[in-house]
Amino acid sequence: MIHLKEVSVEYETGEIPALHRVNLVVERGEFVFLVGTTGAGKSTLLKLLYGAVRPTAGQVWVLGMPVHALREREIPFLRRQMGIVPQDYPLLPRKTVWENVAYGLRAIGFSDRAVRERVAQVLAQVGMSTQARQFPHQLSGGEAQRVAIARAIANRPPLLLADEPTANLDPDTSWEIIELLLHINLRGTTVIVSTHNREIVDRANQRVVALDRGRIISDVPKGGYPIELDRLYPPITLL
Amino acid sequence: MRDRIAFLLSETWASLRRNTMLQIAAVSTACIALVLLGAVGMALYKLDATAHTLPSQFEVEIFLKVSVPRAQSLEMKKMLEAMPEVARVKLVPREQGWEELKKNLKDDVNLADLPNPLPDKLIVAAHQPEQLPLIAERVRKDPRVDEVLDHRNTLEEVLSVARLVRWVGIGAGGLLLFSALVLIYNAVRLTIYSRQREVGVMALVGATLTTIRAPFVLEGMIQGGLGGLVAAGLVLAGAGVLSDMMVRLWPFLKDLPPGLPPVFVLVGLPLLGSLLGGLCAWWAARRFVRIWGEV
Repeated sequence: MIHLKEVSVEYETGEIPALHRVNLVVERGEFVFLVGTTGAGKSTLLKLLYGAVRPTAGQVWVLGMPVHALREREIPFLRRQMGIVPQDYPLLPRKTVWENVAYGLRAIGFSDRAVRERVAQVLAQVGMSTQARQFPHQLSGGEAQRVAIARAIANRPPLLLADEPTANLDPDTSWEIIELLLHINLRGTTVIVSTHNREIVDRANQRVVALDRGRIISDVPKGGYPIELDRLYPPITLL
Repeated sequence: MRDRIAFLLSETWASLRRNTMLQIAAVSTACIALVLLGAVGMALYKLDATAHTLPSQFEVEIFLKVSVPRAQSLEMKKMLEAMPEVARVKLVPREQGWEELKKNLKDDVNLADLPNPLPDKLIVAAHQPEQLPLIAERVRKDPRVDEVLDHRNTLEEVLSVARLVRWVGIGAGGLLLFSALVLIYNAVRLTIYSRQREVGVMALVGATLTTIRAPFVLEGMIQGGLGGLVAAGLVLAGAGVLSDMMVRLWPFLKDLPPGLPPVFVLVGLPLLGSLLGGLCAWWAARRFVRIWGEV
């Protein structure tokens, strides 16, 4: 499903490459955590997968498409095959929950009838049916994240990418969001989640890929927060 | 397809509702520029039509001296007909010329009681307009000739006014139009920034570049089109008032040929406005709506 071969990304402003000779294979149906500190390259790796960042070297294959070689006008057709929950694109504030989810479907040409069906289904799936008429400012952080996930999976994509979906959420809500993503994964969707939340990684017991300064430093098929990162960045204990 | 169009139109409407003052600035500047261009267009059309009503540029008029008897006028006609450059010669006897003049000026001046001051006139047509100065030069030396009128001068004067109007109009109109286009470009650019979230969401879910950019292009077309529509109204109203005023001052102007039909202005200016507005907006959208980079 995903195959990264010797991929490097260098931003013009950065001295250290955002990613350096990264190799990664993700099979269909997997649930993968990308972990690492801020600036480790997690977001860059996700952006590579949906064509928002171009590699300066190497090859990026996603769902059989050579993302590294796609032209700008071909990118939308790649993105229709995946759901994206970005870190910094919240919901549209002037639209209701229902309209926020419908907006994405309408933008890619779904008919009004299909939109009505899909939105109802997906809001039920994420447990937000009763809040359909509420505006984003009336929602809690966890509820807003559920709507963002609903928007991402409304197109029933085979791949879901979530960039720090539990940032700014309390531990219980964070786990609810991860449970929702695990549930989506159980239905057959490949899910890749970037996070630096140690608790949820430990509790989920899924594949964990650790990044540090643009390099993959560990890749464990099932496990908790990688010990390699703990060695590099020991957890701070407040007395 | 219907749902898709409805989506694009609703997005365009949402774009237009943002930055109202900027939208007004863009529409009004486009309007002023198009008023100027429209007025120049109308003036040029009128001047061109006037130029066409002038005597042919293939002709010269030769006025003989009043003392020259008819026999000599006929003799001169024959002499001219013998010249190889001359296509035909028409003699307008002084009596006929006087009657025509009285008829033409009957509304303005009463010439009935005056003695006929006109001489005989010969209208000479050449095969080629370039041969006219040669004919005029030869004839001017003849002692029977009082004055030779080469209408190319009159035509040249009308055309030089037309040229002046054209260059001044196109220069000033073009400059204003450029400002209008820059304003439309900026208005669209700011709308794109103010709708960054929507653009971002559309880009993430896989909307095509055309779908994302189309509402902004439509916005520019509407701005230019609205400016053109108001401009058309102003140009037509202005032309009507100005024309009435000029005819009251100089009655002979009413004999000039009619101007540009209003439908051309009413359709042409909004069309030109929306075309240029759309192009500008397309340029802005192409530059600022990207799905590469940091989405």
